[in-house]
Amino acid sequence: MTVQGKHQVFKYPFGLIALLLLLFFVCLAAITIGPADISLSQSGRTLLAQAPGISAFVSLDDVSVNRQAIILQVRLPRVLLAALVGIALATVGAAFQGLLKNPMADPYIIGISSGAALGATVAIITGLSAIAGYFAVPWLAFIGALVSTFTVYNIARVGHRIPVYTLLLAGVALSAFMSAIMSFLMVMSSKEMHQVVFWLLGSFSARNWGHVQAAAPLIIVGVLLLNCFARDLNVMLFGDETAQHLGIDAEKVKKVLLVLGAFTAAAAVSVSGTIGFVGLIVPHAVRLVIGPDHRVLLPASAMVGGILMVITDTVARTLLGSVEIPVGVITAILGGPFFIYLLKKKKMTGE
Amino acid sequence: MSVGLKVKGLYFSYGKENILNDLDLTIDPGSFVCIVGPNGSGKSTLLKNISKALLPGRGEIRLGEYNLLSLRPKQVAQQMAVVPQDTHIEFAFTVYETVLMGRTPFMGRFQSEGPKDFALARWAMEITNTWHLRDRPVTEISGGERQRVVVARALAQEPRIILLDEPTAHLDIQHQMELLELLQSLNKTSGLTVVAVLHDLNLAAHFSEYVVLMKDGRIFAEGEPQRVLSSENIRDVYGMEVAITDNPFTGRFNIIPLGRSKAAAKNGRGVNVHLVCGGGTGIFLLDRLTQLGYRVSCGVLNIGDTDWSRAKALGVQVAEEAPFASISNVSARKNRTLMERSHCIILTSIPFGMGNLVNLELSLEALKQGKHLLVISNGDFDQRDFTKGKAGAILEEIKKNGGKIMINPQEVFSFLDEVRESLFPGQSG
Repeated sequence: MTVQGKHQVFKYPFGLIALLLLLFFVCLAAITIGPADISLSQSGRTLLAQAPGISAFVSLDDVSVNRQAIILQVRLPRVLLAALVGIALATVGAAFQGLLKNPMADPYIIGISSGAALGATVAIITGLSAIAGYFAVPWLAFIGALVSTFTVYNIARVGHRIPVYTLLLAGVALSAFMSAIMSFLMVMSSKEMHQVVFWLLGSFSARNWGHVQAAAPLIIVGVLLLNCFARDLNVMLFGDETAQHLGIDAEKVKKVLLVLGAFTAAAAVSVSGTIGFVGLIVPHAVRLVIGPDHRVLLPASAMVGGILMVITDTVARTLLGSVEIPVGVITAILGGPFFIYLLKKKKMTGE
Repeated sequence: MSVGLKVKGLYFSYGKENILNDLDLTIDPGSFVCIVGPNGSGKSTLLKNISKALLPGRGEIRLGEYNLLSLRPKQVAQQMAVVPQDTHIEFAFTVYETVLMGRTPFMGRFQSEGPKDFALARWAMEITNTWHLRDRPVTEISGGERQRVVVARALAQEPRIILLDEPTAHLDIQHQMELLELLQSLNKTSGLTVVAVLHDLNLAAHFSEYVVLMKDGRIFAEGEPQRVLSSENIRDVYGMEVAITDNPFTGRFNIIPLGRSKAAAKNGRGVNVHLVCGGGTGIFLLDRLTQLGYRVSCGVLNIGDTDWSRAKALGVQVAEEAPFASISNVSARKNRTLMERSHCIILTSIPFGMGNLVNLELSLEALKQGKHLLVISNGDFDQRDFTKGKAGAILEEIKKNGGKIMINPQEVFSFLDEVRESLFPGQSG
C-alpha cells in the first residue's frame, strides 16, 4: 500500500527537476551558440554577474562589453521568449487536450491562432506597425486572439453549458471564416504578403526585452494557474458527468480553463506568431511516456515545450548562417513526421 | 450514517418533450430501492436528476436535510456516489489511480492523497474484486472489470447514498450477483442507502426492499417488490405476459416472461380451449395459447403438478384435485363445466391410469356433445395406457366419433385458426 503511495508521489519530482535543469542548460547553451564567438563559461558568468550579491565574485575580464551586450540584450531575451512561448503552448495544449478529452486538440483549436493571425495581418497591411511601432502587431494579434476565442465560446455555448463537440466545431468554423478574410486581405495588398506570411510561420527574430516583459507576466501567471487545475483535469477526463459526481464543478472548471488557456496562448502567439505543432506534439508525446496524470503531465509538458522551442529556435537562427528560417517551419518539419510516427505506433498497438 | 432523498413535484423535459411529470418520491435513509420500467419510462432521467447531473425544470429535491440544488458539487460528492451507465474511459490511467480519484471530494486543491485515502482505495478495490487489476491501464481491461472499477471508485468516496444506473449491464451473472450482494451487505452493515436502476426485474425482485415501477415519466407503482411486480402491473407497464412463481431457493419470487400481451396478439380472441394435461406435457400449449389470446382452461390437475403451477401462474382456470389423489366427483363436475364452456378440447400426451381415466371419459362425452377434440399423439398411446386397455378402448371410440389425432403443435394451431374462422368468419389476422 505505502509502496503504491510512494510510487504515486515520489516517482516524478526527480524527473521534473531533471527536466528543469535540462531547460536551464539548453537555454544557456542557446545563449552561447551563434555567430559571435562566445564560450559556455563566458555566457554563464555574464548571466551570473547580473544576479545581485553574486556579481562581486564573478570575473568578466575576458568578456568584452560588446559580447556582454550580445548576450544580455540580443540572445537572452530571445531565448527566454522562446522558452516562455514553448512552455505556454505546451501547457495550454496539454490542458486543452484534457479539457476537450481529445488528444488531437491544441492551443489553437478554439480560434486563437486564426484570430491572432487576422489581427496581425490587419496591423501589417494597414501600416499600423509602421506608424505605431513594433508593438502594433503583437497587440492586434492579442486582441484578435481573444475576440475570436470569445466568439467561439459564445457560439458553442448552449445555455450554461459548453459541450465539447460544439466548441470544436465552432472553433473550426470560425477559424475557416477568419482565414478566408485574412487571405482576402493578403491578396488585396500583395505588397505586404511576405511580411504576413513570415509572421504566420512564427519567429523569434528581432524580439527584445519589451516582448519578454509584455508576454512573461501573462504566460507565467497563466501557466501556474493552469497547473492548479491538474486534479480537476484528471477527473474531467472521465467525462463531465463523472467529474460532477466526484465533486468537480465541470462547467465552471471548463470556463475557467478556457479563459486561462486563451489568455496564455494569446500572449504567446502575439509575440511569436502562429508556431504550430508544439502545443499538439509535446503534450501528446509526454503523455505517451508518463501517462495521463495532469499533475505530472502539465509541468513536464511545459519543460519539454520550453526545451524544444529553445532548441528549434537555435537551429532556426544558426542552420543557414546569415539567413534565418522561421521557427514554425522547423517545428512543422520535425513535428509532422513525428506525429505520423506516433499515429502509426498507436495504430499498431491497437489503442 | 445514512442519508435519504426526497423528491417533490419534479418536472424534467428535453426541449418540448416532457420526460418526468410531477414526480414525487421518498427514499428512506438506509433503504435498498430499485427503479424499474421500460426503455424511455424516465428512470435514468430520474436518476440523473437526483444525482444533479441534470437540472430539473421544476420541483424540489432534498438530500438528507439539504436542498440538493443549492449544494456545491463537492458537498454532494461527499455524501453521494454515482455509478453511471456509460463507464467508457479513453485515457490510460491505471486502475489504482482511477479508484483513488474517488477521494477527490475530500481533498483540497493543493493536497495530495494520504494514508487514509490509500487505505480506502485498497478496501474498495478488495471488496469489488479489482485489487489484482491495480496496475493495469483502465483502457485495457474488460467492460465488466471496468464496471467494477467504477463501483470501487464510488465506494472509495465513502458515500452515504449510492446511485447506480444499470450497474449490472456489462456483467456476467456471477459478477451481477456479486455486485448486488456487495451492495446488499453494505446496505445492511453500514446503512448505505442504495438506489439502483435495473433492467432485470428478477434482480430487482431478488435484492430490493422497495421497488419503484415507472411508466411514461411517472411512478406507476411503488412499494414492496411482491406487490409492485405483479403480473397485472407488468402487463400494464410493459405490455408483457409474465408468470410469477415463488423461488424456493431464495424465498423471493421469479418473473418469467411469456410473450407479448393478449391485447397485442388477437388470433385467439373469443375462442375457448380446454386442455387435458399433466406432468409438464401442457406447459408449451398453456404458454403459447395464452399468449395468442385464447381463453384457456384445464383440468383435472392435481395440486402441485407442474402443469398446475404453470396454469396458476398464468391465471388460467383449473379444475383441481388434491395432490396425488384420484379424480373425485366434485372435480370431475367442475371439469365438465369447463369443457362445456370451451369450443375445443386438447388432450396432451399424458399417461392414463385409473386415477385420471375420468379425464378421458369426460373428453369423449364432450366430443359426443359436438365439441372439437384433438389428441396429441405420435402413435405411442399404448405405452401411456396403464389401465389394462380401458384407455385404449376409449381412444378408439374417440377416433370413431371424429376426434382428431395430431402429431405436432403446429397442426393444433392451424386447426384452432379454422375453429376461430368458423366462429367469427372474416376476422382473420
